Amino acid sequence: MDLTPKRYADTVVLATAGRIDHSTSEGFKTALAPHLARCTAGQDRILIDLAGVEYISSVGLRVLMLASKQAKAQGGTIGVAALQPDVKEIFDITRFTMVLNVFPSVREGLAQLSPPALAAFDAT
Amino acid sequence: MHWSEQVWVRALRGRRGQPLGLLLLVTFLGVGLAPDVLGLAALRLAGFDAYQRWAPRARRSAPAVIVAIDEESLRLHGQWPWPRTWLARLVGLLAEAHPAAIGIDLVMPEADRLSPGRVPEFVPGMGPSLVRELAKLPSNDAVLAQALSGRPVVLGVAGLERDPGRPAQPLRQAPLRTIGGDPRRFVPRYEATLRSVEEIDRVAKGHGLLNFEAERGVVRRMPLVAAAGDAVLPSFGVEILRVATGAPLLTVRVGASGVEGVGISGLLVPTEPDGSVRLRFSRTDPSRFVSAADVLAGTADLHVFERKLVLIGVTALGLSDYQATPVTERMSGVEIHAQLLESIFDGDLLSRPRAAAWAEAAVLLLAGLGLVLVVPRLAVRASVAAFALLVGLMGAGGFLAYLHRGVLFDAALPSLALGALFTAMLVVTLAEAESQRQILRRSIEQQREQAARVAGELEAARRIQMSSLPQPTAVFPNETRLDLYAFLEPAREVGGDLYDFFALDRDRVFFLIGDVSGKGVPGSLFMAVSKALYKSAALRQARQVETVMREANAEISRDNAAGLFVTVLAGILDTRTGLLEYCNAGHEPPYLLPSGERPILRLADGGGPPLCAVDCFPYTASSRHLEPGDTLCLVTDGVTEAAGAGGELYGRERLEVLLAKTGPGTSAADVGDAIRQEVGRFTEGVEPSDDLAILVVRWKGPSPGEG
Repeated sequence: MDLTPKRYADTVVLATAGRIDHSTSEGFKTALAPHLARCTAGQDRILIDLAGVEYISSVGLRVLMLASKQAKAQGGTIGVAALQPDVKEIFDITRFTMVLNVFPSVREGLAQLSPPALAAFDAT
Repeated sequence: MHWSEQVWVRALRGRRGQPLGLLLLVTFLGVGLAPDVLGLAALRLAGFDAYQRWAPRARRSAPAVIVAIDEESLRLHGQWPWPRTWLARLVGLLAEAHPAAIGIDLVMPEADRLSPGRVPEFVPGMGPSLVRELAKLPSNDAVLAQALSGRPVVLGVAGLERDPGRPAQPLRQAPLRTIGGDPRRFVPRYEATLRSVEEIDRVAKGHGLLNFEAERGVVRRMPLVAAAGDAVLPSFGVEILRVATGAPLLTVRVGASGVEGVGISGLLVPTEPDGSVRLRFSRTDPSRFVSAADVLAGTADLHVFERKLVLIGVTALGLSDYQATPVTERMSGVEIHAQLLESIFDGDLLSRPRAAAWAEAAVLLLAGLGLVLVVPRLAVRASVAAFALLVGLMGAGGFLAYLHRGVLFDAALPSLALGALFTAMLVVTLAEAESQRQILRRSIEQQREQAARVAGELEAARRIQMSSLPQPTAVFPNETRLDLYAFLEPAREVGGDLYDFFALDRDRVFFLIGDVSGKGVPGSLFMAVSKALYKSAALRQARQVETVMREANAEISRDNAAGLFVTVLAGILDTRTGLLEYCNAGHEPPYLLPSGERPILRLADGGGPPLCAVDCFPYTASSRHLEPGDTLCLVTDGVTEAAGAGGELYGRERLEVLLAKTGPGTSAADVGDAIRQEVGRFTEGVEPSDDLAILVVRWKGPSPGEG
């Protein structure tokens, strides 16, 4: 599963697409790992752009949960943005909205996570 | 490792053994073009000999007659050598029959000891007068010279490997003319020659070399010309032909790569580059021979010599030089000369043009490539047949070329090479098949092992999961206020769904449904651990469902090395009052099917994330008073996300429609079964990818005894 990284100041936006389920979650986890390693206090913030994701299973949620835990432990910040309605519903039911920062859009996510990143986003 | 899977075996084998086959083929081609390297030329010669044994030359014109000094002659006329006067008489008698030429297959290098003048040397006691008389008589050599002179006689000359240091005889100009170059560097070479005594040698019309050289002990070729000292000499046979035709000169035609032929009065006999011809032998034929004794006795029919080439030679055993030939183990030298004359006369010599060698290489190449391509694709029996056919065709082709064209095409070496190639290809093909069998066997073993392992693991997971689930009738055998239905169908790869229910005290019942975010053994273990910890937390913190949830979250998170989470919907129902408290940790909200007025309700309020997702999350509970007959329906995503044949999910809408259709008073079991059946129909023919769990709790109201 591919992640397309785009950097805005201190924030990396990682865009992905498709289904995050049993068959793709390992790849998703592997792709996420190097970014996550830099997601520490004072370093990169991560915003995962889920606009292209149509489904996420509990295995996929687990990857996000572990990412969130690792980021928290490192003092970093992680969030997800731009959830499609079906994915949003899964987040709502599982209350994963309480596990991760969930933003309606990438821009709002950047606005919440890092003003410099928002400035960089608006500049492009 | 099985021998057929060694690296080098595999490298040579390639996909179908072609690398090995091609390697061998190239080797064989090299050997075939230079067979002497491995001494395989003998095999080739044996093949050629076989042709001659199967189909010896047929005698047709029979131009040569042999006057044989045979056992009978010796018996009648005494020991050999005879006085040369007898030879003179023999020649004289034969000459009367007007032969075309007389060849004397003898060399007489010394003066005849039996000449009259020398008799006193070995007959002691002769008086001086007798000695004088004897000395006056002509020598036997003179008598023979007299008999030879003026007659078409050819004498033998022996080529010597080494110069014996005899006094040199006057050089006689050989009647040879060379065209196109010097043949001496191509033809066999002798250091010196041994001739008859000058007195005899001088009068002969022709002189020919008697030598023939055996190849590996068998005479197959006869040189037509050879070098002796500085001179080029014709062989005995061609010299006889020259004298017979009365031609003054023989012509030796020389090309860039060797002697091309020897011309005898308009007839060009093509030769090998070394000036020899390959004889095509006929079998020993008694009709070739006339006994010298018969000629001397006057009993022979002299007409048989008329216009013939008459060869005088010794055939008596013990005296003659017998040679092995392709057709017979023993053939006298004089007969071999006669065979040459017959062959030349009938134009029936053998040849091995350079093209033959290339043709052999080409045939070997094509047949070899054929085998390399075909053998791996054919069954053993078919490839043996193909090989036999190829060898048969080559043998037949070689034999026909010999029979009809006198061309020596070697079928033996290519056949041998094809045989080796075929064997190698067969072995390699069998090795390949064996190797495939080994691979197949191993893969089947692995599959079985894998299947057994997976089956064992899945079975273990299923047992872990199922054995930890309670049955309603076992837990509440006499409960009249509660109607409980619980169902769990594990997927093939267990998904870790769970449910549980137990009594907290006399009135209150605790129930939960959950879903672990893992599969297989880890999922089922986590499910069992979660369920146990949850129950212990519930029994300890019996007051409120939210504190149970918080406690369970802490406890389950503590032992969560795998990083899983579990969604849980837990509730406490007071069966006396109908008070329902519930708390949702990331699970599908429960449905309330009211006993009276519909619609059904989805209790989506309150709660928090799944257990283990957020440490110390302050879960809060919601509560609600149930009416008697109200039913709670709890499911896992095995229901809502059950996939149908088209990949479509069953979905919440369908579930809600189904639940709405259940009438008031429907038992918990009927609600549960309705869900199972509809999901079962929806997923007909599709292997479920996740567990499916259903928990239905119907409060029938306080028991009559307390109400």
